Amino acid sequence: MIIGGEAGQGIQTVGDLLATVCWKMGLYITVVNDFESRIRGGHSFVQLRISEHPNAAPSHKVHILAALNPKTVELHRGDLSEGGLVLLDGEESADTGVMAIPFSKIAGEVGGKIMTNTVVAGAILGILGTPFNLFEELLIKKFGKKSQEVLDNNIAAARRGFDSIGDFSFKNELTWEKKNPVGLLMTGNKAVALGAVAGDCRFSAFYPMSPGTGIMNELVALTDDFPLVVEQVEDELAAVNMILGASYSGIRSMTATSGGGFSLMVEGLGLAGITETPILIVNAQRPGPATGLPTRTGQPDLQFTIHASQDEFPRFVFAPGSPAEAFDLVVKSLHLADKYQVPVVLLTDQYLTDSLFTLDRPLKTPAAIDRFITTDEDLDNPESYERYAFTESGVSPRVLPSQGKALCVASGNEHTPDGHLNEDADNRKRMMDKRNAKLPAMQEEMSAPSGYFEDSDVLLVGWGSTKGAMREAVDLLREQGQMVGCLNFTDMWPFPVAHCQRLLSGAKRFIMVEQNSSSQLGLLIREQTGRLFDGKVLKYDGRPFFPIEIVEEILAIIG
Amino acid sequence: MNTTQDFDNDFEIKWCPGCGNFGILDAMKNAFSNLDLAPKDVLLISGIGQAAKTPHFLNCNMFHTLHGRALAVATGAKIANHDLTIVVNSGDGDCYGEGGNHFMNAVRRNLDLTVLVHNNLVYGLTQGQASPTSKMGFVTKMQKHGVIAEPFNPLTIALNLGAGFVARGFSNNREHTRQLIEDGIKHQGFALIDIVQPCPTYNKVNTHSWYKKRAQDLYADNYVPDDLENALAMAQQWDDSIPIGIYYQKAGPTFTDRIGKLADGSLISQKYDASKLDSYLSVS
Repeated sequence: MIIGGEAGQGIQTVGDLLATVCWKMGLYITVVNDFESRIRGGHSFVQLRISEHPNAAPSHKVHILAALNPKTVELHRGDLSEGGLVLLDGEESADTGVMAIPFSKIAGEVGGKIMTNTVVAGAILGILGTPFNLFEELLIKKFGKKSQEVLDNNIAAARRGFDSIGDFSFKNELTWEKKNPVGLLMTGNKAVALGAVAGDCRFSAFYPMSPGTGIMNELVALTDDFPLVVEQVEDELAAVNMILGASYSGIRSMTATSGGGFSLMVEGLGLAGITETPILIVNAQRPGPATGLPTRTGQPDLQFTIHASQDEFPRFVFAPGSPAEAFDLVVKSLHLADKYQVPVVLLTDQYLTDSLFTLDRPLKTPAAIDRFITTDEDLDNPESYERYAFTESGVSPRVLPSQGKALCVASGNEHTPDGHLNEDADNRKRMMDKRNAKLPAMQEEMSAPSGYFEDSDVLLVGWGSTKGAMREAVDLLREQGQMVGCLNFTDMWPFPVAHCQRLLSGAKRFIMVEQNSSSQLGLLIREQTGRLFDGKVLKYDGRPFFPIEIVEEILAIIG
Repeated sequence: MNTTQDFDNDFEIKWCPGCGNFGILDAMKNAFSNLDLAPKDVLLISGIGQAAKTPHFLNCNMFHTLHGRALAVATGAKIANHDLTIVVNSGDGDCYGEGGNHFMNAVRRNLDLTVLVHNNLVYGLTQGQASPTSKMGFVTKMQKHGVIAEPFNPLTIALNLGAGFVARGFSNNREHTRQLIEDGIKHQGFALIDIVQPCPTYNKVNTHSWYKKRAQDLYADNYVPDDLENALAMAQQWDDSIPIGIYYQKAGPTFTDRIGKLADGSLISQKYDASKLDSYLSVS
């Protein structure tokens, strides 16, 4: 369904209320927020998908369109499925296909227009046949801590909304049998934040930028319960350099931003590279360049992230395909950053971070955290310790400042093993080779892309957040007799060459599915394996993929 | 008891002969040993420039970072472990130019660290361009008709942003500079010590003898550094006389004092406990 109106009308609240009620009954939920970069006015909507079977992408099929203004009807009427229902805020409608319900008037009568979203949620639940007590329980939980008046007004608003549809009956698949929630209901933002504390991140500095800010909102919410400090700072340059300082001092640290902020952080990424200081940067991608589309989604930064900064140094790049993968990859990123003393960039996007998904598996915390830190006790002679000692693996024992007699001497200038700046040709080459020596072991850490019917002749290949839509597209294509499968990459760099070659070896054709205009992963696969993709389905209008769009374009390619 | 020799290292010093940095380096070593700090107790953080090379010439913990970013790195280092004694070596270009935004915000935060700004009114590392503190009309190869912007006054800016320790030194007065550094480290909060110094290679105007004629002890006339208005007035002086000493000092909670979380101990000393996540990860 779609719930639409102006920014500031509480549309997101309606989506959250409905999602929570349905989730508690064991249903699968996906909620995608579509909004403009403005606080009031304009047009925003939420796409809410509720089903008894797993779903992990928005659907093009709209069964209910709830409009808080006439513009919403105008804009989305064409999306309505056959037999679909339109609800419009108003006394009556001349339009026979539209059911007018005076949402805002009812809200005014029970306590104020601010309650409109509760009335709308009540009406929609009424239409879906939801038992009213489920909604009442949620409202008690949500508003019980506020005044009795606020709670009573909300329950009254919900009841009036629920009753406003009268004995109208709307056919749908939901049976409302009491079941337990199937998995956590969570945004990508929250999964990243929980992964950060699970991975023992203790400091985060940030500068607000959509859609990265959402991650910081979730992280701030955790500061009371964990040894974690989160600071808003003067700019992204400060943010990245502060986490570098905190990491040098000895704690795991991260920041989150979007492409523009990441551009500013690139200087610091290089400092982390040459000083071998572990940091984690989350780049929640949005379309660019420059300001681009601030509140929209895309996958435009893969090639940029792999190459960001002048010159060369080892780094990891990951791109989760769901909140559960985001949680696991943040834990993995913090671990690997410490283990190899390198920077890590995690690529999410506005769609994954801001949308609400039903998790398909439980989230597991690591039993213990290995920091890979050396102390005086580990050293024969702490006073002769060298921060960048040459080793076979390229990883030098790392001490922390002021934790013992071994001194931590680090420099962003090229340096000798003792950390002091040095311009000798021979030393420069040895230091470059030392840092690059980490790469083979780093590549071993990379997981293969996850496969879905991966033995098929035709494979759809993508990365990051398109996983849910691609897998559903595979299901839809197979229902039509097209025996396709898909591969979804999460571990992007160092590129998992052997995994990629093995998984593509059986495919007669592979088609890239990406949210950028040049098929950046496709180009990377060609560069790293020599195999050229046989087609591409690219969407770069700032909106997430609907599975049906992928299906249609794949059919056009494979015929 | 620690001595200045404990801070010596055998790394070749890469400054021009007659550079004001030598006086500051000497004052730092003496200040650290007077405070009975051992090399392991000190963390030096620097940006980029001739001044920012200073940490390489001492034996202690150090992080030589990026142009302008030393204070940002230092902020993170201090939040992670607020028991560290951090001294930042920066220059007029590094701290007031490239790092100007970080400088203003570090003052606002009142982080407990000491910033030594080696202020020679010119760019040394990049070979003689004007700096933010160069006077209007200062002629260089790049500014061939002279600088056409007003100079940056770090003292009045720091005072106006609420800094709790604002001082000026002169690199040639090593004992005086040593005392300022000791006072700065002992001060709980952000301590700015702007140290004017000659650049014998690129600044032929503000020379050693030019400063020597002007540098005057701020305390000669019973000055007391507790009045912001007086300090602001004094900080305007430059052309005829340059007062050296602590212009203004006031006590107050530091940035890490204001982070409630750190009352339980530094972040680095706290324990990981994954069980606290259980309630967040449970479906019911």
